[in-house]
Amino acid sequence: MDPQLTSQIVPAEEIKVIEECLVRLAEDTGGNYVLLLDKSGQVITAQGDAARQDITALGALIAGTFASSREVAKLLREKDFRQLFTQGVRENIFISLIEDQWILCIIFNKGTHIGLVKVLTKKATDDLSVVLERVREQQKARDDVLGSSFRTSMEDTIDLLFRD
Amino acid sequence: MALINVAAREIHCKIVYYGPGMSGKTSNLQYIHSQVPKETKGELLSIATETERTLFFDFLPLDLGKVRGFQTRFHLYTVPGQVLYERTRVAVLSGADGVVFVADSQKHKLEENIRSLRELAVNITRQNKRFQDFPVVLQYNKRDVLGALPVATLDKYLNTLGWQRFEATATNGAGVFDTLKAISKLVISKL
Repeated sequence: MDPQLTSQIVPAEEIKVIEECLVRLAEDTGGNYVLLLDKSGQVITAQGDAARQDITALGALIAGTFASSREVAKLLREKDFRQLFTQGVRENIFISLIEDQWILCIIFNKGTHIGLVKVLTKKATDDLSVVLERVREQQKARDDVLGSSFRTSMEDTIDLLFRD
Repeated sequence: MALINVAAREIHCKIVYYGPGMSGKTSNLQYIHSQVPKETKGELLSIATETERTLFFDFLPLDLGKVRGFQTRFHLYTVPGQVLYERTRVAVLSGADGVVFVADSQKHKLEENIRSLRELAVNITRQNKRFQDFPVVLQYNKRDVLGALPVATLDKYLNTLGWQRFEATATNGAGVFDTLKAISKLVISKL
């Protein structure tokens, strides 16, 4: 099968490493919220203010912004824009690309200096690149994770839920 | 690319509704949003112009609940159909696991459908994916319009790869769930 059509499986032990990295970034910068997204907009994991209810939509919009900036880069004959900074009245967002696959996003307020965020995000990005590399190399068979009856059960669920 | 988070036992898939302007992509999502149970759906998010034409995308997260221990989520997106937004469509397509191509059945829209489908093929290929193998389901929308082209004609010009295809009238929901079921199952089969 075309490798591009296969899924990305993030094992539990790698999620733990990622979470530790995000917690460290949030603590060291004083950031309110840190998210790791796949470029398709799906949230891999998030750390920080647990009251946020809108993570799914946030992931879709941030990934959309990044994908859009990539097209702007092409038009400007830039290779790509690896970082984006959005300044708000209360909160700011700093977004950094990891190996063209993942997006690291940190939300912070006026109490945190952007310079510090940039430096520490760079370090986190390097650490997460290593994790991504390991995830990519994972050869674990899909059936080990999903089980052979998964697809049948999934089809039944789809039939049950998707109807007028 | 579908994402499987083993620690959280979650599976996420991205499905994009593609097609020419005004073919009914947003109407598909609006109908799905109006019909699925409350616990299954999130908010329908639309980034649209003042005249309600899609500017960036519509986004509808669907949570199918636990399937064999895995929380399974489908994220549905639409692209803006107007020619001007070609680069925006490329951005929304990024990382898609499957596409519903919503074609407009009206005679004067045939050429736009063909152009949009060609563009989709180019954009998928640019993502280093083989278009022939990529999960696509066709929807011939607006079957209720007077003078809609016969299905055989649409097949001849749009369905040369022999995809599953459905006739639909998205505004009243006809064919909308058949299409969604087909693309969901196709995406799952490729996981």
